Amino acid sequence: MTTSKQWSAEVVETLLAAQAIALAPGRAERLARAYQALLEASAADPLLARLEFDAVPTGFALAMQKCR
Amino acid sequence: MSDPALLSLAEARSVPPRELLQACRARIEQWQPRINAFIEADENPRGGGVPLAHKDMFYRAGRVSSCGSKIRRDWVANETSVVLERLDAAGFADLGRLNMSEFAYGPTGHNEHFGDCRNPWNPDYITGGSSSGSGAAVAARLVFGALGSDTGGSVRLPAAACGITGLKTTWGRVPLRGAMPLSPSLDTIGPLARSAEDCAILLQAIAGDDGSQDKKEIRIAMSSAWIERNAEPEVAAAVLAAAKTLDRNPVEAEPPDFDALSAHCLVVMQAEASAQHAQWMRERPGEYSSAVRARLEAGYAIPAASYLEVLRLRRAALERFCAQTLGGADLYALPGIGVRVPTREETGPKGGERMPRMLADLTRLTRWVNYLGVPALVVPCGFDSRGLPLSLQLVGRPFSEALLLAAGRAYQRATDWHRRVPA
Repeated sequence: MTTSKQWSAEVVETLLAAQAIALAPGRAERLARAYQALLEASAADPLLARLEFDAVPTGFALAMQKCR
Repeated sequence: MSDPALLSLAEARSVPPRELLQACRARIEQWQPRINAFIEADENPRGGGVPLAHKDMFYRAGRVSSCGSKIRRDWVANETSVVLERLDAAGFADLGRLNMSEFAYGPTGHNEHFGDCRNPWNPDYITGGSSSGSGAAVAARLVFGALGSDTGGSVRLPAAACGITGLKTTWGRVPLRGAMPLSPSLDTIGPLARSAEDCAILLQAIAGDDGSQDKKEIRIAMSSAWIERNAEPEVAAAVLAAAKTLDRNPVEAEPPDFDALSAHCLVVMQAEASAQHAQWMRERPGEYSSAVRARLEAGYAIPAASYLEVLRLRRAALERFCAQTLGGADLYALPGIGVRVPTREETGPKGGERMPRMLADLTRLTRWVNYLGVPALVVPCGFDSRGLPLSLQLVGRPFSEALLLAAGRAYQRATDWHRRVPA
């Protein structure tokens, strides 16, 4: 997960506009800050650095049975 | 006991249903103006057994299901949810539709379309959300139990703030068909009731028996130093004492990385909820409350690769929790909410600069559980100096609901917090 580049209000506006989502006034800057903080917090998990190449999202359902 | 509405669900099953219905109706009349728990109390309740009512997101064919929203205020469902079908088959009565956060996307119980739901212990304080009406109605003894949904804490937060018992089930344990989706990778359905014993009765009806056995001794793991450092003092003292009621010598465990796991949960929740609402967000954005619209806007720039990477990591995070945090213990104990229940004003639209921090504090100890998909039980474990409930949260391995409920029963045999009723 790459978070080295800062999110900007312009990037957020462009991404949402591409999906035809209109932002409420004044929201783009707050959203950019929120994205930055959220993705940095998520990327800070040391488990991510050790995530195996073969790990797939559906592996979770198998783990639920294995861990019961 | 003179008022049958004050009985437990287990006890109420031996009382004539007509008496129960009359008693619940009298309490609804008395309490509804004060706490706004119902969106609609049915004139002619369905079924004739012990009265329940449910968060207004469980569909019943031919009946409105507003999902707490303006967009669906008059929407009539064309199918009945599996969970309501099962409760009907088990002989429970359904008294109506309970208040909830708009589209189940808010942790406090504010609702600008149907009015805020208010805490029965003090209406100036939040109920917790999003199953706000379920928490308030059960706490005020308007019904004997209620269903809620829990995607990031929405069963546990109202149970904690209203002083009742709530079970967040294992992801996949209870069928979701016919319930409003928020984030399908995280969504779960669970009961809120007056005790763990009552929750067990409702879980049995909606999910069946999982065949597991009660254990004689339950081993608790907890991170007491972390709790003392991070929870408010009244919360920490009550939770540490409650955990020791269950296990005199709890295993000291390294805490999970609550903040990283919560961030993973938010990445998944925001991406999925925003995708779910994309069409309405394009066509009817002005019909959402500003708070929910802002939450939904937040999902549209989550990178798809980040979302999928977090889902790929879920297995490793679950295995780590079971092997390292729980280790040889059965359940992990921590507060349901790490701070004391806040007021409606300080967490609402006029909450000011501190409001985002307060909302983050509310959900800090619940969201990580949804990311891992594991079950958790919240039970009341005291009251703070302002008379608002405090709560213990127990988290188990996947599909360990029977063990969680056994622990809840054991705790509630040793204490009487769950028997206290708001005046």
